[in-house]
Amino acid sequence: MGNLNENRIGNLSDPKLPYDYMNREHGTVEPDASRHPFRWVSEIAYKNIHRIVTRGYDTTELVEEGYGVIDVMFVDFQARIPTEEEEQMLNYILILSLEDGLSMPAAMSRLTARSKTFLTQACGASILAFGHAYGAYAAIGNRLAEAMGKVQAGEVSMEAAAAEYVREFSDDEAFGVSDLMLKDPAAKRLLARAGKLGVAGENVALMETIVKTAQEASTDPVDIDLLGAIAAVMADLGFTPEATWTLIAVTRSIGTGAHCIEEIEREGHTRLGETLTPKDLYDGPGDRPVPPFAEGKRQAKPAQTHSLEEWKAEFERRKELNGSGYAIEEEIEDPSQASH
Amino acid sequence: MSKVTKHKTSGSREPFFKRKTAIGYKTEEKTVLRGYDLSDLAEEGYSLCDAIFVLFQGRIPTDAEEKMLKYEMGEFMEHSMSPSAASAIAVTAGRPNLPAAVAAAVMTFGGAHGPGAAHGYMMNKYLERALEEGKSVEEIAKILVDDYMDHNQPVMGMGQPQHRDGDPRAEPTHLKQEELDLDGIYLKLQRAIEKHFHARRKKEGRSYVPVNCVGAGNTALCDIGFSPNAAWCIGSLVRGYSCAAHAVFTLKKGRAWAASRNEPMVQMLDLSMIKYVGPLDRRVPKLSERQDYAKKQREEGEYKQWVI
Repeated sequence: MGNLNENRIGNLSDPKLPYDYMNREHGTVEPDASRHPFRWVSEIAYKNIHRIVTRGYDTTELVEEGYGVIDVMFVDFQARIPTEEEEQMLNYILILSLEDGLSMPAAMSRLTARSKTFLTQACGASILAFGHAYGAYAAIGNRLAEAMGKVQAGEVSMEAAAAEYVREFSDDEAFGVSDLMLKDPAAKRLLARAGKLGVAGENVALMETIVKTAQEASTDPVDIDLLGAIAAVMADLGFTPEATWTLIAVTRSIGTGAHCIEEIEREGHTRLGETLTPKDLYDGPGDRPVPPFAEGKRQAKPAQTHSLEEWKAEFERRKELNGSGYAIEEEIEDPSQASH
Repeated sequence: MSKVTKHKTSGSREPFFKRKTAIGYKTEEKTVLRGYDLSDLAEEGYSLCDAIFVLFQGRIPTDAEEKMLKYEMGEFMEHSMSPSAASAIAVTAGRPNLPAAVAAAVMTFGGAHGPGAAHGYMMNKYLERALEEGKSVEEIAKILVDDYMDHNQPVMGMGQPQHRDGDPRAEPTHLKQEELDLDGIYLKLQRAIEKHFHARRKKEGRSYVPVNCVGAGNTALCDIGFSPNAAWCIGSLVRGYSCAAHAVFTLKKGRAWAASRNEPMVQMLDLSMIKYVGPLDRRVPKLSERQDYAKKQREEGEYKQWVI
């Protein structure tokens, strides 16, 4: 092993380092006896040799009593048994979430399956399709919750909250009102069913007000879409936006399991190198000779910029290369706007 | 720090690629699954479990079949700490988007954790063999058990490392299947497998290893018409629901990174949780010594014990 501390490596003995790197200690950290040892801490479930218990209910006893998977979802996420109407409503929503044609989750499942993976990888990949545009249940749910919070606190009326929501989010993918379902009544039927079952509450009322406000503000026809309807009803069923996001994504991925299977049955697998990309799909830099190594290095232009103007000009130039990432604008949360 | 991405929408409603599909289609007017308008299915009062039959089998199930699936999914959904839940919790520690944690959890279902498809394929293979060789289900079950045990292979569907004296879900699932008059050829085979498995282990003086939830649940799913892969999909995805709950709990009530020293309990990724059993710390060779050092290392071969 040699004397580990006598070695000098690169910059690691440089006095500019805030510590003496080469003399830092080796070896693993002793167990911390001053604190409780690590255990898996959960409010959701435990099991022992004989039982599996979620939120206090033995799961085998639950199903023997006649409760089913929908009920267990309420138990897991909300620690309560739902009413029959709530159970029926969630059933209804999840049926609508099971299939969505050849949309992104199905595409991802099928593409993954073509690599000859486990089915679970294909289904997992389809869950990853749920982001902040497709199936944006966390985004819309949190926005509705924020608007509802202001209404409940008496800060604004339902109409004012809806107007603010429309002003702020009408051009966002997670708006919940769009032109996607002008001919498909499924979202409106879902809201009607929630009313019929008596589970529609203030979130549905807020969403309906948002729809009305959006329709008045829009020059084009718009109406409630599935995202908006499901987000509102799930909130009235007591599910948090995050719970909704995951419940819908997992349900969709059951459907994409069938797409994975069908892809293998009907299309087969794809090997490395098999897929070609025709040149007519390519619009990047034209074909060019690779320069001799030394010449290439001599002509290489460094990326560093040293003034704001130079940085901005270079930044804009880089946007022209598709796939570089410079043309994507992302907003990060403004810490000055944080509520806590 | 979470990000909100601003992108223009594509505006195109065309699918990402063209496929002939027998599963469903979606138009501006409706979404159709195996010929049924999804919205109509929900309006008519069918359950998610009914719809899953439509998805994988293209048919409306009987009441008893729907009850069986409801039971199986209900009992399989939550399993506290298993590889899937642990993965969801660990992934959430890094605070990615929630779907990443749920996807990771679902992807833990492989050759050891909930190997549903393999169990189904095993049963189909031996049923086929019974047909070809003129054996009874009882006889082929013994052959199956002997094939696996003679070759020191675990018999799929038997044993669970945590529920050592009986998975609380397994035997009740068999009973439920019988109560609902859904005991078909798969349950007959599974029961026979268990009988011969127990008998052989007893004869060999080995401990009792009961049926597990895959052996029981997957048998029921096969008897109500699901293919091995469809059954696996249902099993692994229904667990995804509960793993999502564990992920959300960790997101909202757990410490990010899982290594804080300010928690009263040592965290999952606290440095003291690391036990290292690899090569001892050693001097990094000078780059100028590299060739001699590397050749010597190869000649001595000590490194081979660490190759994985």
